[in-house]
Amino acid sequence: MNKKILIVEDEESLRLFYEEELKAEGYEVLSAQNGREAIRQLEEGKPDLIILDIVMPVMDGIETLGRIVGKDRKIPIILNSSYSGYRQDFMSWAADAYVTKSSDLTELKNKIGELLEKKRVQ
Amino acid sequence: MKKALAMVLAGGRGERLYPLTRDRAKPAVFFGAIYRIIDFTLSNCLHSDIRRIYALTQYKSTSLHRHIQLGWNILPTPLGEFIGVIPAQQRIDEHWYQGTADAIFQNIYTLQLERPDLVVILSGDHIYKMDYRKMIAFHIENNADLTVAVIRMDQKLSREFGVIEVDHHWRIIEFEEKPEKPKTIPGDPEGILASMGVYIFNTEILVRRLIEDARSDSTHDFGKDIIPSMIGKDRVVAFDFRKGDRGGTGYWRDVGTIDAYFEANMDLVSVTPQLNLYDPQWSILTYQSPNPPAKTVLEEERRMGMALNSIISNGCIISGGSVKRSILSPNVKVHSYAEVEDSILMEGVDVGRYAKIRKTIIDKEVQIPQGMKIGYHLDEDAKRFTVTGSGIVVVPKGIRL
Repeated sequence: MNKKILIVEDEESLRLFYEEELKAEGYEVLSAQNGREAIRQLEEGKPDLIILDIVMPVMDGIETLGRIVGKDRKIPIILNSSYSGYRQDFMSWAADAYVTKSSDLTELKNKIGELLEKKRVQ
Repeated sequence: MKKALAMVLAGGRGERLYPLTRDRAKPAVFFGAIYRIIDFTLSNCLHSDIRRIYALTQYKSTSLHRHIQLGWNILPTPLGEFIGVIPAQQRIDEHWYQGTADAIFQNIYTLQLERPDLVVILSGDHIYKMDYRKMIAFHIENNADLTVAVIRMDQKLSREFGVIEVDHHWRIIEFEEKPEKPKTIPGDPEGILASMGVYIFNTEILVRRLIEDARSDSTHDFGKDIIPSMIGKDRVVAFDFRKGDRGGTGYWRDVGTIDAYFEANMDLVSVTPQLNLYDPQWSILTYQSPNPPAKTVLEEERRMGMALNSIISNGCIISGGSVKRSILSPNVKVHSYAEVEDSILMEGVDVGRYAKIRKTIIDKEVQIPQGMKIGYHLDEDAKRFTVTGSGIVVVPKGIRL
C-alpha cells in the first residue's frame, strides 16, 4: 500500500506543487491549509508522515507540531520553512528533520524516504 | 550568575494521606500549624535567590491556588521576579500529566518564554530546608548537564525511592527506581543514596531529553525514564544533601502517609525539633489571615485553660480546657473541661465542653460536640473515621458530628 503524506502549507500554489511532485513519487497525498486542518487530517486521514510549514494563519507550525506530538508521539514530522529563525523555538526540536523551502524537492524527497524507512524498521 | 528558573511539581495527589487530601493536593496540606507543605520548597527558593518560580498544579488545585495567590504574591513582577501558578493547560496533550517529565514537557512554551540557563525542578511534596545555591554552584563547578540531590536513607526503604549509585567523583553511574535489592553505599552496607526529587538541568539538555522522551513509549517520568536515559550519555552528577542542608540535621521528609505526617508534626513540639522553624535567616513564609494572638482563659481548679508542650497559633482560645503535646492551627477553640492530647487540630476546629481528643488529626472546620470522645475507642472511631495501623484517627474536613 502506498504511504500517505500530509502536507500542511497555507500557500495554495506551493501546496499543489508539492502534491503533484509527491504523487509522482508514488505517495498518496493529503493536504491542509493550516494547523487546525492538519490536526483534523491527522485524526481522520491517518497519514504516515507530515510535512509542516511554519508561518501559517489560524494555527502556526510550531503550535501544530506540539499538538501533533501530543496526539501521535511517533509520526515522522518534517519542518519545511523558508526561514531558520524557528530553531530558536524549543518545540521545533521535536521535528525529525528540517528542510528549507526550495523549488528543488530532492532534499525533501530524500528525507521523506529516509524517515519512512526508519519508521518501517522500527 | 546563571539565570535559574524553578519549576515546582505541585500536582501530587497524596493518596496515602487521604482524607487530608480529599479536598486538596498534597502540597496544600497543612503542616506545623500554620504552613502548607509547599511553603518549605518555596521558602527554600527565595532564600536561595531563586526568584522566578512556577508551581505546576493539576488535581484539586483550588486550595493551592488560593494559598499561593494570598500568601506568595510577594515578588516584584516588574523586575522579572515572580511566583506563578500554572494549572494543567492541555496545550499540547488533552490528558492530565502522565508523569513528572510530561508535566515539564507540556510546559515547554514556558521554558521558551523564560529562556533560563538552568531549570531547577523541585517537588512541592517535601519538607526540608535546603540552600539550592550550593547545589547550583556544585552543578556549575562539575560542568554537569544534570545534578540530582541525594540523601542517605536506610537500605530497607529502597522500595520508596529512586536509588543512585555514584563513582568516586559523585558521577551517577546507575539510577534505579524503587529497587528491591538496592546498590548500597560503598563502606556503608546499610545505607543507600536516595533521590530527593531535586534536579538541576541545563535548559538545552533538559529540552532535548524531554522531547526525546515525549516522542517515545515511556512512562514520562524523571526517575524512571529521563535520568536513566541520560546516564552514560550526559554528565549526570549527584549532590550530597548534607552540603546544602540549611538545618544541619539532615532533615528531609516526604510525609507520604498519615503516620509519617503525624510523626513529623509531633517532632515540632519536642524540646529541640529536628526541623528548626526558628532560624531568622531561613524563615518559612506562608499566608496567615490577620488573627488576634492566641489566648488561654480561666484558672479555676478543674477548669483551667492551659497548653503544655504544644504549638498554639493565632486566633486560638483555650478556655477552661487543656491541651497537651498538640498542634493547633489558627482559630481553634477548646472549651471548658475538654482535653486534647497528642493531636493535630486544623483551622477553625471547635472542641466542645467535656470532649476528649487523643492521637487524632482533625481537619478544618470541624465542631466536636460536647462530651464526645475520639481516640479512646478505636473500634468505634473506625466506624466513622480513618484509623491508621498505629492508631491515629483522622477526622475529615467539615464533617458534621
